Amino acid sequence: MTAELFCHGVTKHLGGRPILQALNLDVKAGEVVSLLGASGSGKTTLLRCIAGLMAPDAGTIKLDGKTVFGDGLTVAAEKRRIGMVFQDYALWPHMTVAGNLSFALQSQQLSASEIQARVENALDLARLVPLRNRHPAELSGGQQQRVAIARCIAARPSLMLFDEPLSNLDAALREDLRTEMMDLVRHEGLTVVYVTHDQSEAMAVSDRIAVMRDGLLAQFASPQEIYDRPANAFVAGFIGGFSALPMVELGQSEGYLVIRPEDACPVTDYPDMTITGRVSARAFQGRCWRLTLEIGNSRVKIDWPNDVSLDQSLQFSLPPARRLTVHH
Amino acid sequence: MIHRGLIMRFSNANSLLSTASSMLVYLAFFLLIGLPLTLVVMQVIFPDVFNPNNPNFEMSFGPLGRIFSLPRVYLAILHSVELASLVGVLATILGGAFAVIVQRCDIPWRKTVRIIPWIVFLTPAYLKTVAWVLLMSPGGYLAEFGLLPPLTGSLFFAFPGLTLVHALGLFPFATFIIGNALRGLGSEMEDAARLGGVSLWRIWLKINLPLLAPALALSFIAIFAQVLSDFGLASTIARMSNFGVLTYEIYAATSSYPIDFPLAGTQSLVLLSLVTVAVVADRLLRRKDDLKLISGRSRPSRDYRLGYWGWVVTVMAFIVAFIALILPVGAVIIRALTRTLSEGMSLHNFTLVNLIEASNIHSMAFTALSNSLRYAVIASLISCAAAVSLALQLEGPGKFMRSSVMSLALASVAIPGIVFGFGYILMWNRLPFFKDFSFPHYGDSSLLITGYVGVALPYALIVVMASIGQLAPSLNDSARLFGVGGFRRVIRITLPLIAFSVLTGFILNFIHIMFELPVSQMLIPRTESPAPIYVLRLLNYDKDGLACALSLLSMLIAGGAALILWLGFRWVASRNGAANNGQWISTPSLTGDR
Repeated sequence: MTAELFCHGVTKHLGGRPILQALNLDVKAGEVVSLLGASGSGKTTLLRCIAGLMAPDAGTIKLDGKTVFGDGLTVAAEKRRIGMVFQDYALWPHMTVAGNLSFALQSQQLSASEIQARVENALDLARLVPLRNRHPAELSGGQQQRVAIARCIAARPSLMLFDEPLSNLDAALREDLRTEMMDLVRHEGLTVVYVTHDQSEAMAVSDRIAVMRDGLLAQFASPQEIYDRPANAFVAGFIGGFSALPMVELGQSEGYLVIRPEDACPVTDYPDMTITGRVSARAFQGRCWRLTLEIGNSRVKIDWPNDVSLDQSLQFSLPPARRLTVHH
Repeated sequence: MIHRGLIMRFSNANSLLSTASSMLVYLAFFLLIGLPLTLVVMQVIFPDVFNPNNPNFEMSFGPLGRIFSLPRVYLAILHSVELASLVGVLATILGGAFAVIVQRCDIPWRKTVRIIPWIVFLTPAYLKTVAWVLLMSPGGYLAEFGLLPPLTGSLFFAFPGLTLVHALGLFPFATFIIGNALRGLGSEMEDAARLGGVSLWRIWLKINLPLLAPALALSFIAIFAQVLSDFGLASTIARMSNFGVLTYEIYAATSSYPIDFPLAGTQSLVLLSLVTVAVVADRLLRRKDDLKLISGRSRPSRDYRLGYWGWVVTVMAFIVAFIALILPVGAVIIRALTRTLSEGMSLHNFTLVNLIEASNIHSMAFTALSNSLRYAVIASLISCAAAVSLALQLEGPGKFMRSSVMSLALASVAIPGIVFGFGYILMWNRLPFFKDFSFPHYGDSSLLITGYVGVALPYALIVVMASIGQLAPSLNDSARLFGVGGFRRVIRITLPLIAFSVLTGFILNFIHIMFELPVSQMLIPRTESPAPIYVLRLLNYDKDGLACALSLLSMLIAGGAALILWLGFRWVASRNGAANNGQWISTPSLTGDR
């Protein structure tokens, strides 16, 4: 049921502007991969190309070894057996919850009993049985999201795509639903491509993260690897509030020093390195103070155990194991 | 390989079918709207192109020169512009005041005051026209009650009277446009100024009015275009006052002997040009009139507490309602229930004779009414079906095609019916190939229905396209991903979601066609005349009692049918779980990252 995805050289221009630039992406069967990037980085465009809702200008897309785009062939979206949870959930507002689930199955020419069984199973999995006769407008945002996922699960797609499914929810709900949602898809062993611009969400849900920038993959690795070894200054800046300090500020010629806020420590701990900056902003964060330091023309953020006055000079160091240098 | 070949052949066949159906729909749009208008322009550039004796493509600016050489023509242009401008200003002021009252003032009977503009808007224009003639004639009702000094009557059948009747009929346009802008304005900017100590007077002068300027201008332009296109008042009060306006002069040039098509074409072009200027100005202003640019999250505005002054405002609003609505409709009702106008409201003058004759299925009046009902149902159904097909076709192509057809539809709405009618005469009476058609055929009800469809299609298209435009693309995309085919998506997803708009378009067109005058007048069939034309004929033969009874009956039947349809749909929709006036509530966000 679940499939692997292969994208090679996928290129797309919109309004004369390159959105995807010969992008490659492989997703193994049963794997959850996040496409992480800022607005305009091309993540939604890639998702729509995979779904078949948009045709790339060039490249190849294979699903479970079968070409769905490429070599002059385009398999229509309705023939790809891909499920998608849209940002707005795209529930058909004139159908009940059960209607939304069964309508999606009726086109697969399944027997009535098979449709019934699948609908019941999906409703049960998503804890939607009591809500089966309600219309989408009568559901909360979280319940609507569960219906959208259940609808995909009932259709048993070979690949499931999530297009920023949590962005319409408030912060408090988001974390609970994220866990619930991923439990559901992991339980079904689905291959998932998950679009988000929130790095903490990507870290939480993914087996691997594809960090996108200007239609290219800036790094494609596991969350831990991206955290420990960001490929370049862009990835470092995008992940976890890291700062990328140009080495020029430290008297060296090239590269960037990755500074993770939590790594900053007093110079006395590691006297072999001293970085000096002026405190330009400070915010109390409970366990520590998040300080913004101006170092030359750059700004870095560090976590510091005690409060420091604004405009005061501060020296800090990094443990040798955490001194990572990257290129632009 | 077989699978792949099948897929490619399937998609090729699909795209061929889709292209063919698109071409058919565009062709229908062109034949119904584009070609008649093109012929009007051709008539001006090549004056003898439709000359039955010696047709030729000789170009001449002679007909255009007649604009300046014939006093009747240039006076008609001046009168039209003069009237449209003054009515534009007066109706905008009156409608704007109504908008401020219902949107921002805490007055008694507010809900009732709020629906006044709607009822005025929905009352057929020519009914009000007939009513004002009954009221203001020297032997009319107001004279009978001694409320009309002799001089007032003669003043009414002139420029001031025309201005008054137009302004009272068209102020709802201003109320709707300015009211919408006021709703979008919110009160944040006003509150900020108040906190800065600015007086209410200065807030309106320096903040609200400048921000409302595009809406005020839009309102003026919309009303200006409406007055230019009007044929009801032009063929009654204006004609009785010898105040020639363009629409009536076009009709006169095509219906008086000798028929003067080149002159009708020239006047049509002038009228079209004036309306086009208004439409272009409207489009340009609408681009700027996005109040979201001013404030993306305006809060609902606070009401002004008027205290006792609220009662004064309410009474004034009711006085407007009385003059604009109750007085004219009342006059029509009374005239329908009386024998003669001269005997006024004396008890022995009251009778049901007119109503009985109008509702007698064997009478000519009832036949005219049933003709109109038939035409309205057929033309509304065809126009709505065509609008839905075209709107669905336009979902495929890019934004450019959609916005250009939408602009064309919006522009077509402003095209005066009289020009449409003239274009249809040229096409179906003079143009080779078309003039030999047996269906539709010139002089038949089939051509009148075709004309009605041409007039109604842009309205239906605007309503349907606006509704489809509000559907999140993801609703259709998700169905595609689940393997739902194109036809089934239309039937099961799109149509149920736009059903209320399609019904709205049908009802609007049905009522519009029931009381449509200019196209009816230009394409009047030899037999089976529609009700509005029969009403005019009755008025010309001084049978105004029967004319009023027929008008009243038409209004009751058309309004009743529309109400039953609307309530029926709401009932069905509510049984199926729809919310909000029969419309389905959409999923949370209609936009997505691209």
